[in-house]
Amino acid sequence: MKRVAALLFIAALAVLLLYVVSRMPPMGDPETPTATHVIPRYLEKAEEETHTVNVITGVILNYRGYDTMGEVTVIFCALAAVLAVLGRERRGVIHGFVDRSEVPSSTIVRTMVRFIVPFIILFSVYTILHGETSPGGGFQGGAIIGGSMIIFTTIFGLYESSRRIPLKVRAPLEGAAVMGFFLVGTLGLVGGGNFLTYAWPRVAQDLHPSLVVWLTVLVEVGIGLGGAMVLTSILFAMIREEEEIATVS
Amino acid sequence: MARDIVAGIFCCTGTFFFILGTTGLLRMPDLFTRLHPSTKCDTLGACSVIVGMAVHNGWSWDLLKLVFIACFLLLSSATCGHAIGRSALRRHIPYWKKKEVKEDGHGA
Repeated sequence: MKRVAALLFIAALAVLLLYVVSRMPPMGDPETPTATHVIPRYLEKAEEETHTVNVITGVILNYRGYDTMGEVTVIFCALAAVLAVLGRERRGVIHGFVDRSEVPSSTIVRTMVRFIVPFIILFSVYTILHGETSPGGGFQGGAIIGGSMIIFTTIFGLYESSRRIPLKVRAPLEGAAVMGFFLVGTLGLVGGGNFLTYAWPRVAQDLHPSLVVWLTVLVEVGIGLGGAMVLTSILFAMIREEEEIATVS
Repeated sequence: MARDIVAGIFCCTGTFFFILGTTGLLRMPDLFTRLHPSTKCDTLGACSVIVGMAVHNGWSWDLLKLVFIACFLLLSSATCGHAIGRSALRRHIPYWKKKEVKEDGHGA
């Protein structure tokens, strides 16, 4: 009986969803409201309203700032969940590292990683700071820093990398993305606008437009640093767990 | 015009090496022989494309960026090949032998 009811419910849901899908406008239809109102508005007004040359950054950080703030919060929550399950290392304790790999990494690989990781981090800084003029931005730059940390940790081990980014540096910066958003958003409130209005319209309308750009860059840097630190912390927690399992068994 | 033709020839050479490397990666029988064509993708293939783009662009700041990209690509690709090959060798991954394929028909 229960099964029949479930089946009927699923069938009804499927009919409903298929009906809705069949009434949706076809992909890329130029007559839809999105294509006639939203997209031209963004493309025409984005530069003068958000003062960012890169329209995508303008849309992500300014028009849809709330949405991006939610995404940043989701990343932070992911870190919180991972740490709630795996636990955080104790403050001031640097974990020992034993290379349990069957084949220890060679001198060539070590030298190359040591040579190339600074360049990767330099590139990520470029990506973050050029987010408002060219493709790039905080999320991408943060992911690049996280990737460089993953390379470094797989070659040199947890000991070396957690010595370079200790907990007391990581822990405050993990919330940098959320904090940056709240700071800039509150500045908009203080200036008499809505939350996350960058320009604080009434107080400083005549202010130099580069101020808005700087606020955008601040949010970008926050997202970049926060994302990088979140990735690094998740990596460290997982590697530490693996080491503990290897030690016990 | 002549510049476009030269750039096109370089880019086509690069694409050819990419196709060659991918085919080799799919068709070769074991890890070591696969490593051989797949590293060609990065060195010959990508570098030819980069040289083609450099010729197309002429003297500009983009040339410097292309040179940097080529340098990092060569360094990291060679290191990757070395790491994979060394690790496979130390782990005693079996070589491909022609006889084994003939006996069971599927290879090791």
